[in-house]
Amino acid sequence: MTQIPMGAVPKKDNEKLKVLKKPNKNVFLQMKKNYSAYLFLLPKLILFVLFVAIPVIWAFVLSFQEYKIFGSEFVGLDNYIKVFQSEAFLVALKNTLLFTVVTVPFSVLSALVIASMIFVLGKVSQSFFRSAFYLPTVTSMVIIAMVWRWMYNYEFGLFNYILGWFGIEQINWLGQSSSALWALIIMQCLIPFGVGIIMYLASMGSISHSLYEAARMDGASSFKQWLHITIPLLKPTTLYLVLLSTIGSFQVFTQIIMMTGGGPGNATETLVHLIYKTGFRDFEFGLAAAQSVVLFVIILIFSIIQFRVLRHDE
Amino acid sequence: MKNVLKKSVLTLASLGLAASVLAGCNGDAEEAGNADEFKGKITIWDGPRWPDKDDNKYHWLEAKIKEYEEAHDGVEVELVQVPWAEMGDKLGVAIAGKSWPDIAPVDISGSSVSIDHIEQGVIEPLDAYFDKDAKADFYENALDAYTYDGKMYGIPNAITLHSMLLNLDLFEEAGVTPPEGGEWTYDEFLDAAKKLTFDRDGDGKTDVYGFSTYVLPGYYESWPFFYKNGGSPLNEDMTEFTFDDPETVQAIQDLADLKLKENAAPETLGGNDVGGTFQAWANEEQRTVAMQPWATWAIGAAQGKYPTNFAVANYPTGKSDKPVTIGGVGGWVMFHQDEDANKKAAVADFMKFISTDKEQFVMAQNYGIFPARISASEMDPFKDNPEMTRAMEMSDQVVMLPRHPEWQKIDEAIQTQLQLVFNGEKTAEEAMADAKKTVDELLK
Amino acid sequence: MKKKPLDKVNKLILYVLLTIFAVVSLLPLYWVFSTSLQLNSYQSQDMERPVSYVDSNPPKMYPMGIPLYFEHWGEARDAAKSGDAKEEAYHRDMMDHIVDNTFSSYENLFKKNDVGKWFFNSFYIAVVVTFGILLLDAMAGYVLAKKKFPGRNLIFWVIISTMMIPGQVTLVPLFIMVGNLDLMNTHWALILPDLSMVFGVFLMRQFMYSIPDELLEAAKMDGASEWRTFWTVVLPLAKPGLAALGIFTFMNVWNSFLWPIIVLNSSKLYTLPVGLKTLQDANLASFKLLMSGAAVSAIPMIIVFILFQRYFVKGLTLGGVKE
Repeated sequence: MTQIPMGAVPKKDNEKLKVLKKPNKNVFLQMKKNYSAYLFLLPKLILFVLFVAIPVIWAFVLSFQEYKIFGSEFVGLDNYIKVFQSEAFLVALKNTLLFTVVTVPFSVLSALVIASMIFVLGKVSQSFFRSAFYLPTVTSMVIIAMVWRWMYNYEFGLFNYILGWFGIEQINWLGQSSSALWALIIMQCLIPFGVGIIMYLASMGSISHSLYEAARMDGASSFKQWLHITIPLLKPTTLYLVLLSTIGSFQVFTQIIMMTGGGPGNATETLVHLIYKTGFRDFEFGLAAAQSVVLFVIILIFSIIQFRVLRHDE
Repeated sequence: MKNVLKKSVLTLASLGLAASVLAGCNGDAEEAGNADEFKGKITIWDGPRWPDKDDNKYHWLEAKIKEYEEAHDGVEVELVQVPWAEMGDKLGVAIAGKSWPDIAPVDISGSSVSIDHIEQGVIEPLDAYFDKDAKADFYENALDAYTYDGKMYGIPNAITLHSMLLNLDLFEEAGVTPPEGGEWTYDEFLDAAKKLTFDRDGDGKTDVYGFSTYVLPGYYESWPFFYKNGGSPLNEDMTEFTFDDPETVQAIQDLADLKLKENAAPETLGGNDVGGTFQAWANEEQRTVAMQPWATWAIGAAQGKYPTNFAVANYPTGKSDKPVTIGGVGGWVMFHQDEDANKKAAVADFMKFISTDKEQFVMAQNYGIFPARISASEMDPFKDNPEMTRAMEMSDQVVMLPRHPEWQKIDEAIQTQLQLVFNGEKTAEEAMADAKKTVDELLK
Repeated sequence: MKKKPLDKVNKLILYVLLTIFAVVSLLPLYWVFSTSLQLNSYQSQDMERPVSYVDSNPPKMYPMGIPLYFEHWGEARDAAKSGDAKEEAYHRDMMDHIVDNTFSSYENLFKKNDVGKWFFNSFYIAVVVTFGILLLDAMAGYVLAKKKFPGRNLIFWVIISTMMIPGQVTLVPLFIMVGNLDLMNTHWALILPDLSMVFGVFLMRQFMYSIPDELLEAAKMDGASEWRTFWTVVLPLAKPGLAALGIFTFMNVWNSFLWPIIVLNSSKLYTLPVGLKTLQDANLASFKLLMSGAAVSAIPMIIVFILFQRYFVKGLTLGGVKE
């Protein structure tokens, strides 16, 4: 699960930084005066330090160690070298990239199209369709994966039956390398991007009418208005959604463990599934930590690139 | 029956002599501790076994725990119920998190608990609690499976193996005679599989297939087929991958061709759906596959929950003429204990308490496994069970998996390549050549 | 955006397309329920062998028990009319069998598996974490938004910066830590890390800014303690934000999977998603049983969604949460 903040943090914060720069005596006085504030923060802070801050730092330390049950030792960059030399990691990276590159644009674009279609409807239809598209996303991925595995079943599955209507031969969806990853991609594409639809709808609601009035005066068609007014104004939302779904899709895991276990061969191995396997099946904690740090860096780079690109052509 | 048992005893004994010589001598004289002085908690993991009338699949151990607690004041035994399918992964995780139980049911030959863990000191040797006479009651290969470096690292509880299960109703429907005495060559098997593949209602679609099984890391139902020409995955001193020798490659290709060329197996042959495969053989509403290989628990299932008219047969023989099957030895293992010698003694005492000949007899009768104690076998648990008796005859065909510290990874490398053979993406030769690269790297 | 009335043709096309999309997106959920209620053993007088409509090719698009039940009901009525008691009894039996078999897997789930326990575990963990998060994050968010004290910004930025780090990074160290704290195979291993999630702090802080300072001042004037002010003034005002945060926390915890499969060993302690995985891994589970388990796990979230729909929308647009 990942969450990232939307929008910028209010500017006020920067001014408050000055508090820190005041002389020491004053700080102690301030601290004493505000002791209750610290008390309010304390429970969350303790949990944060124990279960977030320390583990994050520890992960970096671990990535330079070889972990043993009774005593670990430092091995320098060995783990990182292993990460990039191992074929398994490169395959997982390739699969994850393909998964991301196809599903993210598709999800965001389809959310935009569906939201645009819903937006022009009346209030009742709007909330009906909004629910219909959001409902599937409140159920856990475990359930979704279980039912898709069943629908992809070779003999009794729904999909091979539907293909039969068009005279297409049965496909061993999850059983062969050529189709397994694509089966997962198709599945991801057909799960509606509920968050995206709702956020687009909300953003569309906040676009000022006058812009469209003016465009209509100039004789622009509805499609032109959509293309030249709606889409550009939705850019911040689009950026947010692209980031969100990219991060999500780099972490694809549940489908893999529930549907294919990474197979056949390594056709559906992904980064997080590999980290899970390295850490909790092979128990190479150091290597798993290094893999996860690399994953973090990849996500970071992707986020920065997307941020730059989508911001730039404004 | 007695004869069968005697024969098994002898052949089991003849297996794996080398290590058992070492096992024979007593371990170093460690401080044994006094079990009676221990007060506190013992944690044991177990998986679901056979159900009682309330469908409680843990009733056997629960009853034993109650009995033990009543006899030992101040000792509390906590049972942690773990499904079998998760047992390996969970134990591995528990070991890595240093939160292991005191006792768990583990096959230490090539599962999540491995030689590597023994070397790291996670498993306690039990030699202080078993003298030479006490050890003599176990079949030698069972004991051998728990012996490493001359020390005994667990109490063998049960021997399991894989056998072919034939649906006799389908044999009759297709007019095929089951192999006499359950012995057959691969050609005879192939012939039967082809005849057992038929279209029942004439709609142009095959309703019944001759054979099916699956390929998945950690599962060995299909493997005896690959041993049929005399091959094995690693050479004797475990320095080299040998599943790529031409005879084995041929054996692998033969089984894959059952689907790819002969169409005598469903598309799902070699897939990863364990449950679906079993349902196709055992479920009354399906029964779409005539022959499947399974571990002995399936015999119990086909006699109980999924009543099926079936027979047990050997794996078909190939060029080596000798039928082969893969077996394993289950048992109880004690995990690393801190300094308290009394607790250690108490844990060992409880382990002994649940692995007496009487308990192994009860388990054999109810749970579809073969006792690891000779005295339990002599109580004749399968008197009224011809299928189990037949399967037990196969114990002299058992080969064990290589005991390499990295076996789990080696296994995964091989099995994922095998999957690609069975879905027709690679030939057996290509796949095993690719597996060799990975495995030889692990063997270094 | 101003809505100008659409012409009829366009409107129709729009509705048709949206309906198709909606059907596609809801199909898997429908399939869960349909399979879970599918008849998996049926044999009428004229059938040679029993059939299963679960593992059937072609698949049946709806539970076959429904039409077959009415068929037998009709036949039983006809038999009663013509006075054929034996025939009538047969059809009555078949009707009973159909009802039993249709719901058999749900009965099986609760009787022969630990699903009841898993359901309870999931539920109470989700409730504990949700209320814990609401309290802790409201407290933290409140002081971070409304109080000025040394270290405030430092604390805030440290917390926020960890939000960018994917959860997998802390997987291994968290695991070692939970082991060292002797919390493995306990529900604390789930609850404590969940309580330390930081997103709510960010959300509550944003929300607390909108509370007018005057109200807080007024409470102070009345001599209320900090805690009293927080409890009686701040929390009531933050209700909409709390509702949104609460719902998403509940959903996240209810659905969480990767961490629970690592730290829980004992099947009595499993949460629903973990339990469902073990059901799928067990060799003997049929798809009817698996889909029943999936349905049991899906129903609470569907109810929560229907009841609190508007908070879902609010939560998403307030801060941008992803499940």
